[in-house]
Amino acid sequence: MIENSFNRRDFLKVLGWGGATVALSGCGNTSVEDGREYVTSYVETADYIIPSIGTYFNSTCAQCDAGCGIMGRVREGRVLKLEGNPDSPINSGKMCGLGQAGVQAHYNPDRVREPLLRNGDKGEAITWEKALQLVNEKVASANPGSVAFLTGGVSGHVKVLLKNYLDAIGSDRHYVYEAVAPSVVRAANKKAYGVEMPRLRLDRAKVVVSFGADFLGTWVSPVHFSRQYAKFRKGVNGERGVLVQVESKMTITGANADRWLAIRPGTEGILALGLINALIAAGLTVPAEVAAAVKDYTLDRVSNDTGVSVEHIGKLTALLKDRSPSLVIAGGAAEGYAHGSQNAAAVALLNQVLGNVGKTVEAPASMPFPQMAPITGNRSSLQALNDSIAKDEVKVLFNCGANPVYSAPASMNMKESLKKVPFKVAFAHYMDETAMEADLVLPLNSSMEDWGTVVPEYFAEGAQLNIQQPLMEKLHPGTLGMGDVLLALLKQRRPAEYNGYEDYYAYLKNAMVAIKGALGGENEDDDVFWDSVLSQGVVKLTSSSNALVSSASAAGLQLPPPAAEDGTYPLRLIPAVTPNMRDGRHANEPWLQESPDPLTTIVWDSWVEMHPKTAAKLGVVEGDIVEVASKNGAIKGQVYVFSGIHPDVISVPLGYGHEAMGRYSKGVGANAFKILDPVFDQQTGELAMYETRVKVTKAGKRVIVVKDEGPAGGNQSGRRIALRMASGKVNLAEEV
Amino acid sequence: MSITNLLQNWSDFRQQHPSDERPHQEYKWAMSIDLDLCTGCNACSVACYAENNLPAVGKEKFSHGHSHHWLRIERYWHNEDREYADQGAQFLPMMCQQCEAAPCETVCPVGATNHTADGLNSQVYNRCVGSRYCNANCPYKARYFNWYDYPTTADVWPAPMEQQLNPDVTVRGKGVMEKCTFCVQRLTVAKSNARTEGRSVQDGEVQTACQQACPTGAISFGNLIDPESRVAKQWEKQQVKLNHDKQAKDAVHDGDKLRGYRILENLRTYPSVMYLEQLREGAI
Repeated sequence: MIENSFNRRDFLKVLGWGGATVALSGCGNTSVEDGREYVTSYVETADYIIPSIGTYFNSTCAQCDAGCGIMGRVREGRVLKLEGNPDSPINSGKMCGLGQAGVQAHYNPDRVREPLLRNGDKGEAITWEKALQLVNEKVASANPGSVAFLTGGVSGHVKVLLKNYLDAIGSDRHYVYEAVAPSVVRAANKKAYGVEMPRLRLDRAKVVVSFGADFLGTWVSPVHFSRQYAKFRKGVNGERGVLVQVESKMTITGANADRWLAIRPGTEGILALGLINALIAAGLTVPAEVAAAVKDYTLDRVSNDTGVSVEHIGKLTALLKDRSPSLVIAGGAAEGYAHGSQNAAAVALLNQVLGNVGKTVEAPASMPFPQMAPITGNRSSLQALNDSIAKDEVKVLFNCGANPVYSAPASMNMKESLKKVPFKVAFAHYMDETAMEADLVLPLNSSMEDWGTVVPEYFAEGAQLNIQQPLMEKLHPGTLGMGDVLLALLKQRRPAEYNGYEDYYAYLKNAMVAIKGALGGENEDDDVFWDSVLSQGVVKLTSSSNALVSSASAAGLQLPPPAAEDGTYPLRLIPAVTPNMRDGRHANEPWLQESPDPLTTIVWDSWVEMHPKTAAKLGVVEGDIVEVASKNGAIKGQVYVFSGIHPDVISVPLGYGHEAMGRYSKGVGANAFKILDPVFDQQTGELAMYETRVKVTKAGKRVIVVKDEGPAGGNQSGRRIALRMASGKVNLAEEV
Repeated sequence: MSITNLLQNWSDFRQQHPSDERPHQEYKWAMSIDLDLCTGCNACSVACYAENNLPAVGKEKFSHGHSHHWLRIERYWHNEDREYADQGAQFLPMMCQQCEAAPCETVCPVGATNHTADGLNSQVYNRCVGSRYCNANCPYKARYFNWYDYPTTADVWPAPMEQQLNPDVTVRGKGVMEKCTFCVQRLTVAKSNARTEGRSVQDGEVQTACQQACPTGAISFGNLIDPESRVAKQWEKQQVKLNHDKQAKDAVHDGDKLRGYRILENLRTYPSVMYLEQLREGAI
């Protein structure tokens, strides 16, 4: 990190040599040859550049929406490696593998490098001037209300510009779509706590019971929760925190639990209410209406319905009774059903009767600049867009950061649906499935070439504003930042307001300096303030806390009995969100393909995971290729057998099976999104991800599963390699 | 290095396992990994790819055992005959254990793998002739052989991916053995900086790539000679002694309160990595 101030533009000019050499291999004169830029020799370099010594610059990780602070090691004008920014409260200097692979998104050989205009089946390279002019014409000739934006989660100044652009053309069609998002839990939290995502204090809890929230791997802010988990395990005064994970398919969080409880799919809410009932029997005082609502959830019935043994329910009750405060979290496995909202509400009620609200469930900080606060996405937003397209209401569609052609279930038929939109613009890093359908593809800068501000959805402490800044000169001269494009589009609509900004950098600096008082820099010179912001990478904002209410109630809780068996489609499909692949947007980064899945250790392919009992019933063994068929389609995959999954379900990871995108992702594995049944959560209308019924049939061949575990399949064969002992034998307080 | 030189000065080249007569002088790099904190997330492994120019070899080569993950997460199940793996998995980050009496060193015909003064098992790429004896002799299977020329013919880094390569670390060609170095390039910089300032490297001044990334802070690394270093304190507390092949822990059966151990210690490799046993709650 550079503490003293310097002129960032000059810095980038020095770095420009890398960009210039790239340009040399193309056609035309480079800016160096034209004399518009100079190559500065290292003989007279700036103070902060020492050849062969890496310099760190702070920025923000863009691999997921958690908003971890990063610092990129820059040497000789290239960014080499990312480390966590120790000053970011979210990740405190740490990073996950997905974040590490950010450099492979940046240097990826399959990035789109210039604007492409559709000509039949091909994309023809055009200039940005022509592209933006075309956009201007199409938007001007369309009815204002028929111009729509489809984006992923968006925040910061880009969100402000996007809103301004939509206002300028007179449209309110901004659809925010995330294929994998805790939308149902957000809605349930809003009801129970008054906020969508309360601040969870794992570090203060003595017991954590997670109903399928994979907070160590994929859920909300995994690196932050991992930091908290470490404190939770070390415990207060050496009393080690106890983790119990309830889910039908083991996640990486489940693999770290003291007890992993395999639950019959969809009965999470029943277990939560059963625990309340058992807690009452153990002497916990609860409101009368709660007691009345749970009195039918007797131990035997709950055990029978959920498949969790009476012994384990009893032990879990005792644990929750004796060790307070605890923390109960509802995650993907609880919300993925038609009654997902009910499950999540039951879990919230359990948290409340345990008295955790206010102790381990805290009010999150509120964002003092709501216009920059993140908009989170969900699937019903995509449904709304799809419905509008069906009614011919959308004439121009901009798509940025979402890949619905890949990730929407086949029942939505996005590919055909998009054909009805006359002009589709895709802002793209890769030629992914959705960009392939576009009429105009506009290539974006990588997050390591771009300016921006990011507001994370989940604040670790107070509110914060993250800075994204270029870690090197652009690799490809033909790409542009999203902010720059929006600014150019706004200049077409509101020239008086925006012509004063040369580029997005100028806009951003101006906007930040304008609010410097609120960002803690009221007495500073503009440039000093700006430089210190860039140097820190994170601006901590003074903010108040949102109010937290404790309004979970038993009223209206309607939990259906365990689902009846379906004769034709006897198994349930769990589409697994894995730490490497998530929703598949990073499938073209080879480190992630080669990084073994933590549980199965499989690389470079997807798989069909099942319990040994299920495999025996189907007559298949590891490596058999099977067909997984739902009412909405079928995929094939290799069988992997292991005992971290309920016998009633099978699981296929998401993120694989791309039909486009790039050399490392195309044709690798199968796309489980495609066969999901259109079943929805009754309250929120979200896709119930775990409701798909499937049948599995042998499809002939058998292959050798390419995986990292040896032939012993995770058995130590009597050797003392990985050891385990009972926590009661150790005094953690005495350890270093 | 001539063979005469090698034979005459054998004790300088072949450092024996540490003893009271031959202690380490200034530095002895060592590690400690808390398996109760390791979640098996693979962040360390990917960080190692980024730092050390490891090739992602692809599915086919991976299936032939040609992967290059210097740091891999081993995953074990311990569910005996229970229906479910209901106490979770056992994750174990496995890398070169930097043995003090390394089985790989004695078998190298050309002295390509040998011991450094600060206790690292070093691999000299341009001496290596690719006999792979070291690989055969490593009980931890922590050595990786370049069966292909990854930078050129195998095209693992198509342009512009090669721009990500760390200039501080050699890009290995075909026919040489490689393995975890404890990020020796970072150690060299830290030692050089410290020497310039006339002091020794302070604890926390240098981190390995895996340690720096680890989201739960399960990995600690430092100088075992420095009694103030976290890693030395951990070894001390767990009563694990570098130059012993039986530890205090092995003697105690009941009321056991130590969880530090080294893997396959009975082979007398004297590893530099101590692991802390995973814990599981008995009340649930």
